[in-house]
Amino acid sequence: MNAKANKNQLTSIEPAYYEAVTEAIRKEAVKILKEDTVVGVVGYLPGRRKGTATPALVTSVEEAEKLVFSPACVNNLSVYLTKAKKGVLKQGKVGIVAKGCDMRALAGLMTESQLQREDLFIIGVVCPGVYGFGVERTGTLTEANIARKCRECIVHMPEGADVAAGTHAELADLTPEEAEEMARIEAMPQAERWAFWKEHFSRCIRCMACRQVCPFCYCEQCLCDKNRPQAVESSPRPAGNMAWHLVRAMHLAGRCGGCAECERVCPMDIPLNLLNRRMAKELKELYDYEAGLAPVEKGPLNQYKEDDDQSFIK
Amino acid sequence: MSRIGVFVCHCGENISRTVDVEQVAKAAGEIPGVAYSCDYKYMCSDPGQTLLKKAVAEHKLDGVLVAACSPRMHEKTFRKAAESAGLNPYLCEMANIREHCSWVHEDREMATEKATGIVKLMVERVRKGKSLAPITVPVTKRALVIGGGIAGIQAALDIADAGHRVVLVERDPSIGGHMAQLSETFPTLDCSQCIMTPKMVDVANHPNITLYTYAEIEKVDGYIGNFQVTVKHKARSVDESKCTGCGVCMTKCPKKKIPNEFDQGHGMRPAIYVPFPQAVPNTPVIDRENCTMFQSGKCGVCAKVCGPGAVDYEQTDSFTVEDVGAIVVATGFKLYTIDRKPEDSPIQGYGEFGYGTIPDVIDGMTFERLASASGPTGGKILRPSDGKEPKQVVFIQCVGSRAREKGISYCSKVCCMYTAKHTMLYHHKVHDGQAYVFFMDARTPGKGYDEFWRRAVEEEEAVYIRGMVSRMYQKGDKIVVMGSDIQVGVQVEIEADLVVLATAVQAQDGADLLAQKLGISYDKYNFYSEAHAKLKPVECATAGIYLAGACQGPKDIPDTVSQASAAAAKVMTLFAKDQLERDPVVAKVNEKYCVGCFACKKVCAYGAIEEKEIRDRQGNLVKKVAYVNPGVCGGCGTCQATCPSKSIELDGYTDEQIMAMIEAL
Repeated sequence: MNAKANKNQLTSIEPAYYEAVTEAIRKEAVKILKEDTVVGVVGYLPGRRKGTATPALVTSVEEAEKLVFSPACVNNLSVYLTKAKKGVLKQGKVGIVAKGCDMRALAGLMTESQLQREDLFIIGVVCPGVYGFGVERTGTLTEANIARKCRECIVHMPEGADVAAGTHAELADLTPEEAEEMARIEAMPQAERWAFWKEHFSRCIRCMACRQVCPFCYCEQCLCDKNRPQAVESSPRPAGNMAWHLVRAMHLAGRCGGCAECERVCPMDIPLNLLNRRMAKELKELYDYEAGLAPVEKGPLNQYKEDDDQSFIK
Repeated sequence: MSRIGVFVCHCGENISRTVDVEQVAKAAGEIPGVAYSCDYKYMCSDPGQTLLKKAVAEHKLDGVLVAACSPRMHEKTFRKAAESAGLNPYLCEMANIREHCSWVHEDREMATEKATGIVKLMVERVRKGKSLAPITVPVTKRALVIGGGIAGIQAALDIADAGHRVVLVERDPSIGGHMAQLSETFPTLDCSQCIMTPKMVDVANHPNITLYTYAEIEKVDGYIGNFQVTVKHKARSVDESKCTGCGVCMTKCPKKKIPNEFDQGHGMRPAIYVPFPQAVPNTPVIDRENCTMFQSGKCGVCAKVCGPGAVDYEQTDSFTVEDVGAIVVATGFKLYTIDRKPEDSPIQGYGEFGYGTIPDVIDGMTFERLASASGPTGGKILRPSDGKEPKQVVFIQCVGSRAREKGISYCSKVCCMYTAKHTMLYHHKVHDGQAYVFFMDARTPGKGYDEFWRRAVEEEEAVYIRGMVSRMYQKGDKIVVMGSDIQVGVQVEIEADLVVLATAVQAQDGADLLAQKLGISYDKYNFYSEAHAKLKPVECATAGIYLAGACQGPKDIPDTVSQASAAAAKVMTLFAKDQLERDPVVAKVNEKYCVGCFACKKVCAYGAIEEKEIRDRQGNLVKKVAYVNPGVCGGCGTCQATCPSKSIELDGYTDEQIMAMIEAL
């Protein structure tokens, strides 16, 4: 029986798969640290509570042997290269553990001159999915506890990594919750849709967690923090909230790789990834473009072609 | 508090007819920070400007707003007036209440309200405006001309005659281009080579012209006044400094049966050759594809017979970097090949005409070679298949051109005239022959052109049939041409001995690639775009690059020469100053907040944005940021709109100004 047929029958991913991936990551991380290929590896260490994982930069072989990979490894680590641990790249080449969605962010950051491929050693993870939130986050990964974004993942196998950890594994027959939700919202009359988002945005407390966690929000000063002239009101009031979320969605159009970290960290449960996906859909329909599948010279929104769709000009 | 003066113009009655200008001036006077306001019949007139200057002095104005016509019309006028009154000219702005208001509205009350609104927001722009100083950049007074056809030759000669040095780069082994291939030229029927070759010799002998043939543009860096152009010199296999042009190599070359490109493949040439006898330079080139020495390593005859030892089989491509201040692009055209659909092209072929399969269906340029005294038949009209004199010749116009369904919708402009010329040349050479022309309509604007066409029809007995040809096929040694005469409303069938197709004029192969190197724009047919169709017809949107000839669009020789001289004049204007002054409305990067995503660089149409390294005192790289070269920036504002962190601002259109304008409404 071939791998594809096998895959179609998987209804759960057992912890053993993640253990095998963990082994592969440790082996590779130890190797590149020993050989001095890299100055450190950005990966996951076990969290303080059982079954959790926390992002970490490991710089020694001893630490590297503690790296893990599990369905609790939800964070997009690319953010640690451009924001959280910005200095580390200046010291030399860095290793990074990347799931498919992290890989899309890395490719996007390369497109935008924020990262250079030669500065990275990418340990790609063949990822069957991670836990969602508000679900049982231990043990076997199943339809019941997999994250929404993972249900329609197209990048289980990260493209463009230096090495891959793990073999093909994918859950079969997952309900595409996000696509269904998007279809539901798209089917709403305009006024109802407007009300839907207005309600969501009115709850925003402007904690800016979505901005902090997003790999593409790497500006040193966000235009939304500018006050002379002020483009977006900074206090959490409906008009300013609406402006902020529109700016966020527009700025991510053609760039967002769909890691859905913004939605995961939102304390007010605003379905931000729906907006990201809607923009991605526009890009796909208008330009047949999907962000981050590989580094490109120019995205479609940064160039003009004579055959570009112009039907939006009325 | 600012002290702004607002001057509302009546523009005769152009504005005052629909806008209550007195009311606008009164309302402007009530805006906080406006120290003076008035209205006047013609602000641009001498008394109007004096009024403005006096008011600046009397009311100690620190900003001026003229509510009148479009800034395109009179911004310079009023900025000059403001400057002479002691203000920085960039503190003078215009509110367009004519094109944007009075001309497009009828309701006086509402138009007045709108005009007042426009004035209000423009006052805010003046208030937030900053003094700007013109940008100066040095100018290298040396020009590059790309393309050695008549356009390039004319431009190069004009610039060189003005005393400036010129580098002329030609892709082929000789200059001359298409004009050197022509037999006689309309509307005077003078010999093309007779008027062309002296100019070619002038180029070769001119002390100010450096001629590079068999060379191409590899890379273009820099900006107006300061371009660095890398020229690739293709391996000629003959040392130009040693060759005397005696031609022995060509006569001794054992491989002589290679179709000659200059004769459209109808004459033969050896593997070591000059394209035509009057070639400039008269230095042969080895066609390595067809040379036995290069293909099998055995021969070497040309090297043996060459007295000065100029033949060099080891020669490789070489590169030079040329510093120039201006570039004239004169890369010309090619003719549409219609036999088949080119790959990856939206253009559909004309398989139904049998071009490429029926030997006696030829294109216009081939007919030129047949009619030319220097051509493969010595100027006799003999058809390619059997060398017989054709007694019935059918000419078909608009092949490719004006055929949207085939992929080209433009008119090639020269075909009506050259087909009329062909019928005459044919009539002069074959007295008992008959020429037929299938045409849509004859387009003959130009001095002496319509007279010329009428002469072909009325005196030279060409039969013009209005209609198109649907099919052609070989029948014995004849070509049956089936078409329609739509004026009479009948089907026409002619048994022709020769068919000549007036194929469309197209942009040169690789025109798009060259444009990308130069950073100039081109249309969907790969013709280069001028900066303004009417007012800047020879300038590119990219400063310092000018267009001449058919690379911009189909053109005849007079138009090409005129444009070449115009481009040369533009180059001379540029070279007239040592320092170049540019409008300071350019983008500036806030390096503190720029994160170096270079989205701006990707969208910049002018190639004005560079990557700049910011280093600390120890020389460690802190970050890379965008840098806008003010000499190149066109001030379009695309980078400002693209920058995600709003770290780029366009002087004169800053975010602060725009936001203040919005808030004023």
